[in-house]
Amino acid sequence: MNDDAGGNQRRAWFQALCQSLRPDLLRFAFWLSRDRALAEDVVQESMLRAWKAQESLLDETAAKPWLLTIIRREYARTFERKRFPTVDVDELIAKEEPMLAAAEEQDISDVRAALMKLPDEYREPLILQVLMGYSTAQIARELDLSGPAVLTRLFRARRQLRAACGEDLRLDPQE
Amino acid sequence: MTDHAHYRSAIMADPHDADPELLAHRESCAECRAFTEQLLRFEARLERALLVDISLKTAVLPFARLAEATPGPRRWMAMAASLLLALVITAGVWLTLPQRGLAADVVAHMAGEPDAWRVTDVLVPEAELNAVLEQSKLRLKPDAGVVSYASSCDFRGHKVPHLVVQTQSGPVTVMVLVHEAVRNPKQFDEQGYRGTIVPVPGHGSIAVLMRDLSPGSGDVERIAARVEDSIVWTR
Repeated sequence: MNDDAGGNQRRAWFQALCQSLRPDLLRFAFWLSRDRALAEDVVQESMLRAWKAQESLLDETAAKPWLLTIIRREYARTFERKRFPTVDVDELIAKEEPMLAAAEEQDISDVRAALMKLPDEYREPLILQVLMGYSTAQIARELDLSGPAVLTRLFRARRQLRAACGEDLRLDPQE
Repeated sequence: MTDHAHYRSAIMADPHDADPELLAHRESCAECRAFTEQLLRFEARLERALLVDISLKTAVLPFARLAEATPGPRRWMAMAASLLLALVITAGVWLTLPQRGLAADVVAHMAGEPDAWRVTDVLVPEAELNAVLEQSKLRLKPDAGVVSYASSCDFRGHKVPHLVVQTQSGPVTVMVLVHEAVRNPKQFDEQGYRGTIVPVPGHGSIAVLMRDLSPGSGDVERIAARVEDSIVWTR
């Protein structure tokens, strides 16, 4: 009986955890995949995997990075399984237009369109840094990169975004 | 010695890099200061751009599959059926609600705590305050002020300390959100509340808010800094 009560408690806790983190997880999966339907599938499967592997969560305060890692792996697995055809970014942008549109904020829509066009290797560390608040060291661990490599990708990501949005890119003011 | 190119490359990779050499260069170079301001404005746009609207069309969790996936005797599953039903109903109700950001959730939490806004000079009993704080491994310095309310509240799946400190500017609500890391301070002004959520490296964040009509509501950042300063982390 005690086992049942403990199990119920654990399940309720897991449910609450997923509910509270789901918006962040969905946004992360969306920017990873740039496809809303795929993001929802990936998050659902990831939650199921997380539930099965809950013993591997040793520190409950680390639940969010733990789930993000599971989502990244699930997304990679989905890609391996389905072998998606080459992505046409303009088609993706058109498909996700309702989600990318920012009412009364054209400058935000512009940034979203530029984000959709960023290569994966630049977009992913940028999402982790800006959306998830990861430090350079945390991104390096998550993506299995060196710290300088992460910084290089973040620099290039911002340079491409800013170029697409007509921002000042000069590294030397005398240029 | 940091030159323009090194400085600009570094902050393009991390606009909030607090390296002393970078800060010194920024102080001494008006052009790079202007470049930084422009970059930070763009960064704010980027943050807003990433917050796409996630409305929920699908169930929160595949509950049936979750039950199937649970190891254990079959009777365990049968006994969980009623719980699952309740959870599915709860999820259904939850799905009808719009998704909100952290600030909106903090403000929404206030609606359920009307007593927290009473102006009073009555301190919450010390034992009660300590019990709330100990759960989150913190204590307050003796000069923290009059804490008139202390409760351990359910917030985004965790128990968090919810305190009210009486200040000259009126009652100030403080929520210590050790499970909610934010990268930068975020000000908000929603539904009659003005506040800020400030990052606390290694300890999540702190939300500080006041009623918009409070005489000192414009000072909320200053009050937040004072609140942060009066917290002592015990782990």
